[in-house]
Amino acid sequence: MIPDYYEFCNSAKIVSGSKAIEHIGYELAALGASKPLVLTNKQLLELKVATVVLDALKDTEAEVVAVYDDVPVDSSVAVVNDVARVYRETGADAIVAVGGGSVLDTAKGATIVLTHGAEDLMEYRGAESLVGRRAIAFIAIPTTAGTGSEVTSAAVIKDTERHVKMGFTSLSLLPDVAILDPRMTTGLPPRLTASTAMDALTHAVESFSCVQANPLSDCYARSAIDLIREYLPKVMADSKDPKTRLALANAALLAGAAFSNAMVGIVHAMGHATGGVAGVPHGDAMAILLPHGMAYNLGCAGDRYGELLLNLAGAEAYAATPAAERGTAAIAAVRAMMMSLHESAGLPLTLAEAGVLPEQVPDIAKAALNDGAMSMNPRQPTYEELVEILKGAL
Amino acid sequence: MAQRGWRTKRGRKALAAVVYAVLGRGLVASARLDERVRGEVRSWPDGAVVTLRIAPFGPQVSWRVSGGVLTYLGGAEAPADLLVTFKSVDDAIPLLLGMQGVLAAFAEHRATVRGDLALAMSLVRCLHIVEGYLFPDIMTRRILPHPAERRASHATAYVFLLFRTASLEGAAS
Repeated sequence: MIPDYYEFCNSAKIVSGSKAIEHIGYELAALGASKPLVLTNKQLLELKVATVVLDALKDTEAEVVAVYDDVPVDSSVAVVNDVARVYRETGADAIVAVGGGSVLDTAKGATIVLTHGAEDLMEYRGAESLVGRRAIAFIAIPTTAGTGSEVTSAAVIKDTERHVKMGFTSLSLLPDVAILDPRMTTGLPPRLTASTAMDALTHAVESFSCVQANPLSDCYARSAIDLIREYLPKVMADSKDPKTRLALANAALLAGAAFSNAMVGIVHAMGHATGGVAGVPHGDAMAILLPHGMAYNLGCAGDRYGELLLNLAGAEAYAATPAAERGTAAIAAVRAMMMSLHESAGLPLTLAEAGVLPEQVPDIAKAALNDGAMSMNPRQPTYEELVEILKGAL
Repeated sequence: MAQRGWRTKRGRKALAAVVYAVLGRGLVASARLDERVRGEVRSWPDGAVVTLRIAPFGPQVSWRVSGGVLTYLGGAEAPADLLVTFKSVDDAIPLLLGMQGVLAAFAEHRATVRGDLALAMSLVRCLHIVEGYLFPDIMTRRILPHPAERRASHATAYVFLLFRTASLEGAAS
């Protein structure tokens, strides 16, 4: 299938491998930068994860002008503005972001402020409306294998005063370099590993089945699922193996590149809403809602899910399943993966297990209907249909 | 032989301006006729200006919501809280003529959005309803996510569009 029209961009240089972080000096020099501001959080410093990057930077010509470690769990406008202030005051010429989605999104927000001289970040909300080249060198080093934010053109930043989450999508948010080093993720606990991997799986499945899917994003999505199928069980069995950790980090990156170009749909729309209304962690929401979203889309995206059975369950299962049943079998494969993660890491299977109350369902449905991701889903649900799907996941 | 009429870029822009005028009045008429549009508009921030425009120099159409009531602002320049910009007139025409759905246009990167994406989603739902009034079923079947549900006939909608919004404009000015 080839769409009438599509766009694809994945401009970030990928540096992946054992000790990849040791190349950070070279990468900064290649970008013409020598005064990086390192953005991270206190927990990553305490766990000695971010210190791997700081140690690597000591042995370079670059001079770290500041380490900003006050990034909260949800990136916020106040923090973004503060990062921009520190960047200006210290005379930095690059941002090195070390962390999960929140740290990377904060860095993206800061690049908007610094590039466009934004007084109010709210003015730059939107999709593809930011134009012009970014004025700041930007290196992203993810410490989870899930969001794929190191290669996405999207950022979500909370305005804590106005109580709104602001969405931004623009190619100018893409980092210049994404560094994947297994040392960043070997310490992740199994529960978080499982949850973030399901986020990556959802990126891949949704990007493959949403309306912007294209031949290039399909390649990324399929490769991501292949890696998750092969390496997630191995990581769950031995979380310290750098090879399997690196494979999973690559899966998240591939899925991120896929969804950055093909977008996501109903599962993310419901997941964002579930997080906003009931505080369910994003990865947990993805794991719970993915099979339900797929079941809802089965009528119009069943063939696409059927194609993914090859990646979700392997060649033998694909060959043994009649074509007409492959879509349903793909959903069953996702459920089997979920069940396995439930048993090995305690991942919740239902929204109720994740703490969602029945009376919160209407608000979640309402918020999901207004989520931008919904517009890319192959089937547009009504409010009533969303309520039914969410009740089914309860 | 030189091309004429809507085949020229100027012609297509003129056509887009006419359709914008119809769509502009159509949304206001739908907000009067249809409680679904009224409900959506009531959820918009008071005083918000919503604009659809074609880059780089227009045409454009804007609406302002005030006290839950929508006012058609025509092509007047007004600072927009939600600005949907088609990248070129050729990206806008298929949508404006009912040959392509709003969501498909977004999926194909034909427009950019500046502003609150939740408000943009609400606008999309309104436009779907308006298209249900403006276009015949043979067209809407192809471009709408659900079959068009109308609370009034096409004829009533066009009467509202032609006369009731015109009187509203007079009152507004």
